[in-house]
Order: sequence, then C-alpha cells, then structure tokens
Amino acid sequence: MSIDLLVQALLNGFGLAMVYVLVALGLTLIFSILEIINFAHGEFYMLGGYVTYYAYALFGLNYFATLGLAILTVGLAGVVAERLIFHDLRGKALNAFIVSLGLLWVMQAGAQLAFGVLDKPVPSAFSGIVRVLGLVISVERLVVTLSAIVLIVALYLFLRLSRPGRAMRAVAQDADAAALQGVNIEAVAALGFGVGCALAGGAGGLLAPVFAVSPAMGALPVVKAFIIIIVGGMGSLPGAVLGGLLLGGVEGLGALFMGSAAVNILGFLMVIAVLLVRPRGLVGGA
Amino acid sequence: MRIRGGIAAVVMMALAATAGTTTPGAAQDKTLTIGVLGPLSGGAASYGVELVRGAEMRAEEINKGGGLKVGSDVYRIKLVSYDHKALAADAATAANKLVFQDKVKYIIGNAVGATCNAVQTVTEPEKVLFSFVCWGTSNLGPDKPHSFRAMLSQWEVAEPFYRWVKEKHPQVKRVAAISPNDTSGKDTNTAVVKALKGLGFEVAADEYYERGTKDFYPILTKILATKPDMLDVAAAPPGEAGLILKQARELGFKGPKGWTAGVNPVTLVSIAGKEAAEGVWSPANINVKSDFVSATVRRFGEEYEKRYKEVPGVIAVANYAAFDVFTKAMQDARSLDTDKVLAALTQKPFDTVWGRLVLGGKETYGIDRQFLYPVVISEIRDGKVVDIAQVLPAALKK
Repeated sequence: MSIDLLVQALLNGFGLAMVYVLVALGLTLIFSILEIINFAHGEFYMLGGYVTYYAYALFGLNYFATLGLAILTVGLAGVVAERLIFHDLRGKALNAFIVSLGLLWVMQAGAQLAFGVLDKPVPSAFSGIVRVLGLVISVERLVVTLSAIVLIVALYLFLRLSRPGRAMRAVAQDADAAALQGVNIEAVAALGFGVGCALAGGAGGLLAPVFAVSPAMGALPVVKAFIIIIVGGMGSLPGAVLGGLLLGGVEGLGALFMGSAAVNILGFLMVIAVLLVRPRGLVGGA
Repeated sequence: MRIRGGIAAVVMMALAATAGTTTPGAAQDKTLTIGVLGPLSGGAASYGVELVRGAEMRAEEINKGGGLKVGSDVYRIKLVSYDHKALAADAATAANKLVFQDKVKYIIGNAVGATCNAVQTVTEPEKVLFSFVCWGTSNLGPDKPHSFRAMLSQWEVAEPFYRWVKEKHPQVKRVAAISPNDTSGKDTNTAVVKALKGLGFEVAADEYYERGTKDFYPILTKILATKPDMLDVAAAPPGEAGLILKQARELGFKGPKGWTAGVNPVTLVSIAGKEAAEGVWSPANINVKSDFVSATVRRFGEEYEKRYKEVPGVIAVANYAAFDVFTKAMQDARSLDTDKVLAALTQKPFDTVWGRLVLGGKETYGIDRQFLYPVVISEIRDGKVVDIAQVLPAALKK
C-alpha cells in the first residue's frame, strides 16, 4: 500500500471532521449551560440543511448568505425550543433526555410531512478538484472545512471576548455564582441553547450540498458528535477538535484495511477505550 | 409509520365517484384489505413510494370500476401500508401488524432483500400471498411457495447486461462493484461477480458499505486504488448511488459506470448531478416514455406523471402489474382463499401492463415464482434516461 494512498485516506477522514466538530460543540455547549443532553440536536442540523435547500437551491440566494441564514434561523429555533420545551428542564437530565427524544421524533416526522421523505439535492456551490502531490482534494470539501474552521474560531472568540460569551462560560462553571454576580441565567440558557443549535444548523447548511438533505439526515452527525465529545472531553473546545480529528483519521484509515461495518465500530471502540482509561476525555477537565 | 391518510382519501374519492354506479343492496360493502410494505423514509424511500403508488393506482382503477368481482361477491379494495425504513426488524413488526392486526391475506409490494426475508417468516407459515421487488436468491424457493418476485432481479439481468458491455464496450476489462452491506447488496454483487467471471472480466473490487452512509470518500479511495475501468454501483439505492457517483467523480474517476440494480434514475441524477450521472448504464431500469416499452407501460407512465408529477421507475410499474395479476387470479379462482388463488396464479400467463407476463425461475430458484419480461438497457444522457438496447434474460429465452 503506497504512502499516497494512506495520506489520501487520512485526508478523506479529516475532510469533514471539522463539520462534525461544529455539531459536537453545539451539543457540548448546551450540556455545559443547561446540564441536559439534547438528543434532538441532529434534527436542528437537519433544519439547517432544509433552510439551505430552500434558500440556496430553490430561491438562488448566495451560498454564504444562505449559510448565515441557516445559522440564524436554526439558532432562533433553538431559542424558541429552550423557552417552550427545555426551560423548566435545566439540570433535570432524565426528564430532558425523554423530552429531547420525543422532540427528535416529532421533528423527524414533521420534516417528513413538511418536506417529503425523499432526499432533496442541493447543487454544489464549488466544483472541481485540486491535485497536490498526487493527492486529490475536492474544492467543495475544502471550502466546507475552511468554513467550519472559521465558525469554530468565531465561537472561540465569542466565548472568550464577548460579554454574553463570558456569561455563558460563567454559567457553565457555576450557575449560582454567576447569578450572584448578576448574570441573567434565563437569558444565558436561551442564548446558549440557541448558539448550540445554530452551530448544528451551520453544519447542516455546510453539508447540504455535499450529501443532499433528508428528514433522517441528522442521525449520523449526532452519533459522531457524541463520539467526538466523549473522546475529546465534555465541554472542551480543543478536546472536540482533537476528538474530531482522531475520529476522522481512524475512520479514514480504517476504511482501507477493513469492511464498512467494522469501520463504524472503530469510533465506539475509541469511546470504550477512553471511558476505561481516561473517563473525562483526552482534554476534559476533572 | 402508517401511511394510510392519502390512500384512505383515494379510496374515499373512488367510493364517492362510483357511488351511483353499483346496484343498491349489492355486496358493495365488502372490503378486501391488501397490505403494502416498503421503505417510505430514509435512503431507499423512493422504492417504497413507488410501490405504494403502483398499488394505489391499480386499487383505484378497480374501485372506480365498481370493485373487484370475486365469485358472487364484489369487494372494495382498501390498502394498508407501513414504513419499515429498509430495516429487517421493522419489516417483521410491520408484517405481524398486517397479518395479525389488519388480517390481510395478501401483501403486494415490498423492497430491500433483508426485509423480504423478515416478512416471509410471517407470511409463509400463515399462507399469506406475498409479492415483492426484493432482490436475492433466498427470497424465492420451493420452501417459500407463497412468495413471488414482481421485478427482474440481479440473477436475471447481470449476465445479459455484462454480455452487452463486453460486446459493445470491449475496452472495459476490470470492473469494481459496490453495494449496501445486506442481503440485497450481497446477492447483487454475487450475481455481478459471477457474471463478470463467467464472461472473462477481471473483478477489480467487490465492496460493501453500510446503508445510510453519506461520505463515500474512504471506500471509494480504496476502490479507485484498484484502477477499475468501470464502476458498478450495483444495488445502491438511487440516493446513495447518486452520492457514490458524485464523489467518485470528485476523486477523479472518469470511466464507464453501471447500475445493475438501478431503478430510479431521476433521483440518481438529481443527487449526483448531470455530469456525474452522465453515461450510467442500467439493465434494471425502464424509461416509460421510450419506444422500447409497450404502449400500456407508456400509458401507465402518463397517468402516473399526471397524478404524482413525477416519472415512474420500474418499481411502480412492477407493483402495478403484480397487483393486477393477483387480483385477476382472485377472480379466476372465484375465491379469496390463498390456496385457490395460488393455484390460479401458477396455472397460466397473465396479460398485464408489461404485456404477457410469464412466471419462471425454476432453474435459478427451484420454483417458478419470478415474473419474467425483456431486459431494457438504458443510459443516462444529459440527465435523461435513454433506452439503448433490449436483451432477453436466459430464462425467458427458453
């Protein structure tokens, strides 16, 4: 097996990892602030895909404007979901688990009724390939990856430098102490849920032209997001990036040496190994 | 998910339309419930949608014509359909519901091989007559006398298809096949590999992926490293086949493409894009507007398009024909008893939308339960399906 092939396989694996990191970051942000795991997170990713389908594929809006629209629309949907559904479930993990599972089914069935069951194609915004040292890189995937990195950096700066971002971090560290310092917990919870969903919506918007959109499209990214979070460490942005790269690399290389069913197991084997050896994740705090 | 609303509405409309045409006091209140199964969501949803629509159209025609006259009774046909998402476990659950809850004795329509095996664990012991478009040798056999395949499968089309490739495109020497990792996919690749080896081709790759896969870069990198002349997305459903071809093109593959089990090219083109779909050959698909199909298929296509605003693929035609054959057999048997209908089904050919439909397949499956009709080879050109050749399955030649 040539080195070129191994590098190409790694490149394939890393190619979309950053998009799944976006989904994972949204999930972990919501968990950090509201202490709930949103199992319907993939459905917000799916909403982002449909916004892209309608705005970009049907109405011809600019691709990046569409991406912004997907982020805003899904973020707003997240705020509404927090206010109407998850508002009273903060810290009630079991209740939130059941409710989010219900929301998952409602959103999937709703999407089937509203958009139909068939895959809807979204034309590629960027076509062509780049050949570098014998490696093939799709321009579309390159743009998608770079866009995902920009969004991750934007999130990092937002959490580090902006007042609402700092408030979110404060609530994530200690909600009571943050409240005593005058942080509006209610507003931060709604904003945190909204930002988390917006990240999923952005990811859905980014991958819509790569894979097409369908009501069930959120299932796979959310599984990958869980693997990334557990491997990288819950609540850690660098951990999510590391987890994403590890998962992408393992899956990319695994596909060269084993069958597809075995490759799908690799991610879960990573999860088991991390939970046994370092339960807080590779970069997660104590 | 139970998809009854639309079908119930159709049945209600049909009832309303024919309310004045039957004699008051006749047996018009009798209802014959027929089950339809299929993936109505997920990557293979287009199969299920076509199955339901094909059955729906024939049921509506029968109801509009005053109902199905069986002996001295007249039956309104009511369809009950369930979505099994192409999952065997869901298919078994759905079959149990149809047989034991809805009390159906006929299930006309199902797709995706593993789900057929699951359904047959319920239908065969209960003597429920079951027609499907699943591909695979294990779905037909002497131990499954109540099961029928309404569409040509890989075992009927692979050999004549690759014989045609060999004759018309002699530059193709090495072929890579990729299919879903389940019964349907395994059977299709097995048939393709057998045909390839029998005809002297080299098998560059014989690969499988998990249904629901969206990113095919990893597996395609492995396949393309084997330098195939031709890529066959064998049993991949249209959505996934479209993604495979799109991503293969992105990775630089420019050779001929086949789709041995390809049955819905419209979806494939929409997902892959015109450039990536250009030149795909398929022996399983049909173009209902072409000169290679019968006038009755063309009329069916027009009616389907008028009604659903989409062009039907072969599955819709096949299930429409199966529905027709089964209901005609009930009339011939003058009974709804499945033993009597089974006997009527296997006694003589039926005139259907395909033309004269022959049951065969004993050489391959050990029992004549395979519907046989000519294979039409099509090619996608500029996003449209163009029929380019007609060949006969070996069993039909005999």
